[in-house]
Amino acid sequence: MSVSNVKIQIVTGDSRPIFKQIVDGVRMEIATGGLPVGTKLPSVRGLAMQLMINANTVAKAYNELTAQGLVEPRQGLGLFVSEPRQLLSEEEQQKRLKSAVDNLVNEVAYLDFGSEEILREVQKALTKLDGAPGTDDRD
Amino acid sequence: MQNCIETNDLTKRFGKKLALKDFTLTIEQGGIHAIVGSNGAGKSTLFRLLLGVSTPTSGTARLLGADCRTLQPEIRGRVGYVNEEHTLPLWMKAKEITAHQRAFYPKWNQKTFESVIGYFDVDQNQKVAGLSRGERAGLNLSMALAQSPDLLILDEPTLGLDVVARQSFLEALMFTETEANTTIIYCSHQMEEIERVADRLIIMERGELKNNSSPDDFVERVSYWVAEIPSGLPDKGKIPGYLNARDIEGQCHILVADQGNDFGDFLKKNGATAVARNPVNLERAVNAFLTKNHSAPDSRA
Repeated sequence: MSVSNVKIQIVTGDSRPIFKQIVDGVRMEIATGGLPVGTKLPSVRGLAMQLMINANTVAKAYNELTAQGLVEPRQGLGLFVSEPRQLLSEEEQQKRLKSAVDNLVNEVAYLDFGSEEILREVQKALTKLDGAPGTDDRD
Repeated sequence: MQNCIETNDLTKRFGKKLALKDFTLTIEQGGIHAIVGSNGAGKSTLFRLLLGVSTPTSGTARLLGADCRTLQPEIRGRVGYVNEEHTLPLWMKAKEITAHQRAFYPKWNQKTFESVIGYFDVDQNQKVAGLSRGERAGLNLSMALAQSPDLLILDEPTLGLDVVARQSFLEALMFTETEANTTIIYCSHQMEEIERVADRLIIMERGELKNNSSPDDFVERVSYWVAEIPSGLPDKGKIPGYLNARDIEGQCHILVADQGNDFGDFLKKNGATAVARNPVNLERAVNAFLTKNHSAPDSRA
């Protein structure tokens, strides 16, 4: 029996609204295997109390995660991390990939690493990601 | 559904000063509505008019469906009010005040009272004079929520509270299970609190309503631009949605309301050689609105 522990932090004063921080945080936890498929998320009220925020903000984030297909409601039981499936259009995926790559390039441009080293690190991180769901390499 | 608060062209004049000007605001039942405004923006005047202790110069105000000029005890009994001073009779014991209040409110919920007071360390046999500010705030909030009010007005309730008391106050406010669908009006200058608690953000400035939306939608309204303009910033009056601008090391930092990405083109057309758009957080967005008409050190006066 796993405890549904969402290891996310929110910060006030950020330019990302709190609901967006929750969406990003949960998405990251799912992607890195911190929340494996089938894990139950805390209740809206539970996560609101954990983060000390208005429950409606959590509800908004949960709606967004549901709309993105990352979690799914089970009647009367709450929200569960769903099997990964793609809801975004090809075009939208291209757009997000480009924006992610731009961010990465922007961050590494001033570091003293060559392309090869950077690619190797990215490759390493991606390999970890591929193997993450369902494996126990984090616990 | 009936609106909790409804004002229409509400105006209040004190001599030459307009405290509220054609103020039209609708607040639906339920949720936490934060009201932000500089000192003198008209918040207290608005509350006084809503509670019927002051009469408007013109316009109308309705509270829980009733005209604020002729509020009956039945309506007043459905409204709770907590102010920043947490004024309570100093010579009474906590339990005496509680008994006293309980007698006034037919919908008093003892369970709610106990669960809220549980967040605070209040000795019921202690006299109010011996309670700390945080404990008084807690006692006040417990009594206000126990009344099961339809409307609860909190006027800067966490002012002067330490971190522990402040945290207890917010927790008790947000997470106490009550049966009532209480509409909460929350006045505060603490952006951090507002970001955590508010469903809606109402901004008042100089007696006028400037915003009534979710905090997230409000932040979307404001954009922050940094521009290199060798010829200097165009006349403020000509900048669409102008809120404020500062000169930092030769670059113009401009905050504007309700402008899209084409604002960058506007700047370029007006002599900007380089333009960048920065993200904005809630505090900066609110401050930009509140400082709009206030003078700031600025070489271009």
